[in-house]
Formats: sequence, structure tokens, C-alpha cells
Amino acid sequence: MPEPHDDLIAELRELDPFLAVPEAADQRATVRSRLSVPVRPQRRWRLWLASALAAVTVAVIAVEPARATVVDAVAQVLRVAGIEVRRQASPPRESPSPLPSTGGVTLEQARQRAPFTVKLPATLGPPERVELADPDDNGVPRVVSAVYRGGTVRFDQFAGSAGVFFKQAPDAEWVDLGPGMSIWLPKQHTLTYVDRAGLERTATARLATPTLIWERDAVTYRLEGFTSLEPAKATALSLS
Amino acid sequence: MSRARSGDLGAYEVLVARYTVPAHRAAVLLGAGDDADDVVQEALVKAYRQLSRYRGESGFRPWLLAIVANETRNLHRSRRRRDGLVLRAAAVTEPAPDEPGPADTVLARERRERLIGNLRSLAQRDQDVLVCRYLLDLSEQETAAALGVPKGTVKSRTARALARLREHLRAEEVPDA
Repeated sequence: MPEPHDDLIAELRELDPFLAVPEAADQRATVRSRLSVPVRPQRRWRLWLASALAAVTVAVIAVEPARATVVDAVAQVLRVAGIEVRRQASPPRESPSPLPSTGGVTLEQARQRAPFTVKLPATLGPPERVELADPDDNGVPRVVSAVYRGGTVRFDQFAGSAGVFFKQAPDAEWVDLGPGMSIWLPKQHTLTYVDRAGLERTATARLATPTLIWERDAVTYRLEGFTSLEPAKATALSLS
Repeated sequence: MSRARSGDLGAYEVLVARYTVPAHRAAVLLGAGDDADDVVQEALVKAYRQLSRYRGESGFRPWLLAIVANETRNLHRSRRRRDGLVLRAAAVTEPAPDEPGPADTVLARERRERLIGNLRSLAQRDQDVLVCRYLLDLSEQETAAALGVPKGTVKSRTARALARLREHLRAEEVPDA
């Protein structure tokens, strides 16, 4: 049943982007330093008493450890353009089939054919192999991959407007990557290719090693093969 | 112990980075004015200390915005005035010159300005309920938590505020008709 004020409500909702507010201050450092100061014992005791009373009044409410709730909260929006991360585990196939590929090309060929500007992390040096995956009828690829260090490090890039991969990783977390947010998958996880028609190619599902995912200027990047976050971030920031 | 704590803080900092801007926007729209940054900081500190009460049903954003709204009300109480009555602090942004359909844009802009003007002329609690429900996109339940009133009150107040807003808009249209 339509509400009498639906039109007005729609207008109010549309108003939001037109309202300019002053820029917000960066609160990270201040909030961290305030939270690093221990709460005074007296107050803590009062807090404890208050929560104990609350617990009695409200009967049984499972209170999760703060850490778990933080991770839960962080994990609710795990989506970087073109990649969806589902916080679940799923075993991949024993011998996954590779992405439909044109095989190895030179970096120049990749730059000519890709529908976006191909960038590579400077810290990794020249790639050992460059591949173009899933070309259309005109030979324009969807994914450009560069392989380094004897195949242990893999760097994929693709236009972020297309859903290209989805990942299943229970332990995925948001990290701050300079100008934007990115997702860090610290452990092995399932990686499935989503083709042009939006179909998940389950045959391509494979176990990927730790991966950092981020987006810049409508291109999504996937850096696989660093076991810890800091070198992965440093590599990501060397993109040029 | 201290390492676990710093691990928590690291994870929390990601949340702080992500939600500072929406929290600040909410504080400004609810009338915190120049104190919006202080309100946000207070809310972020309180949110961390109350994380054990967060049960993740509707997401971190509405939960945090409810704390921001609460802090904004505390602010009004302590200084006994409201800054920039809700939307006064917020200016209507100018349309970009290359936007399509200049006539449409001008009309739409006039309409938006009228809407904001009339929204401002509503009673404070009517403004608050409309800001929470439609500008901050909070549910009735979340709005109730944010404004510290029962859900039924949110429902009736929203209906009344919308009716008043429409009345004001109509009253303005009469001279042109």
C-alpha cells in the first residue's frame, strides 16, 4: 500500500547529496591515543557493576569478545570493485582449469590491447611473464596478469566496473592503503573467476595464497603471493 | 594483554577511518555545528568502550550514528542552545555549469531550497526525526535509539512531521498558483 507521503520521502532522500557539510577532521590518531590510556580503576569497577546489573536485568545475552565484534563489523562490507569476498570457506577443485587465456605476450602488447592503462609495481622489477585473460572477439582482454619470482607472486589488474572474481575467505579484513581502503586476505582462500556473462566459472576455483586487493582510478588490482601485509602494501604503493 | 589491546585498536582504527565522515555528517545535520568534530571523537571513543554491547544485527554504521545522535543531544543539553538548527550549517551546493538540462536544474534547485527552508522551519524534534529517517537512512528502530524515544513515537512523529512539511510547502505554492 503506498504511503501518503511517498513522494515527499523520496524528495527528502534525494536531498542528501546536495547538502554540503564542512570537512571532517581525521580522528584516527586522537581516538587511538585516547583509547590507549587505561580507564581509571574506579570507573572500571562502576562500569563492571553497571554491566553486571544490565546482564541480570536483560537475562542472558551472549557478550562476544570485543575483538570478534570488531572483525565482524569490519567484514560486513568486504567488496572492492570487481571482487566480492564472502566470509566463508569452501574447498576448491583438485586441479583447477586455467582462465581462458591468450597465453604469454610482451608488456607492450598488453599495454596496447588492455582497455585500461596497465600499471605495474616498480619494486618488483620487470615481470617474468605477462598474460592476457578472456579476450573478447576483438582480442581485448578482461584481465592482465604479470608473474614474478618464479611464479610465486602474481599481479592481476582489470576494469573495476566488471565483476571478475569472487573469493571465499573467512578471515578477510579491511586495511587502510594510503588514499583508500583495501582488503587483505592473510591466508589461503578460494578464488573463482566470474566470466563476461556473470557466470561463476567454478572449474577455475583454486586456492590462492595471501592476497591484497585494492582499487585506484576505476581499475582493480590483486596482488597475490606476499605472506605478510607490510611488504604487500609497500609493493602496492609502488604502482606506476 | 597490551599486545591484544593494540591489536584491537588496530582493527578499530580501520573502522574509525571508514566511519568518521558519515558520523561527522550526521552530527552536522543534527545541529552540532562547530562542535561536530568533538562530538564524533567522543562517539568513537564511547563506541569502542561499548563494543561488547554491539551485536551486529544491523551493521556498525547505524549503531555508531545512534551514539553520535546521543552525543549531539548531550551537547545541546550542556550548552542550552542548538547550533545552526539542523540544516542551517549545510549549504545547498551549486550545480556544476556543465550539468545537463539547465532549466530542469534551476527548477530542481529551487525546489530543494524550498524543501530545506521548510524543513528548517519545523519544530526541532520534527526535524530530527526526518533527518534520522530519510537523510541518514536509519530505520524506525534505529531512529528510536538515536533520539531516545519509543519506536511508536518515531512512527507518529514522522507522520506528523511529513504532514506539516507538506502543509508548509503547499502554503508557499498558493501565491504562485
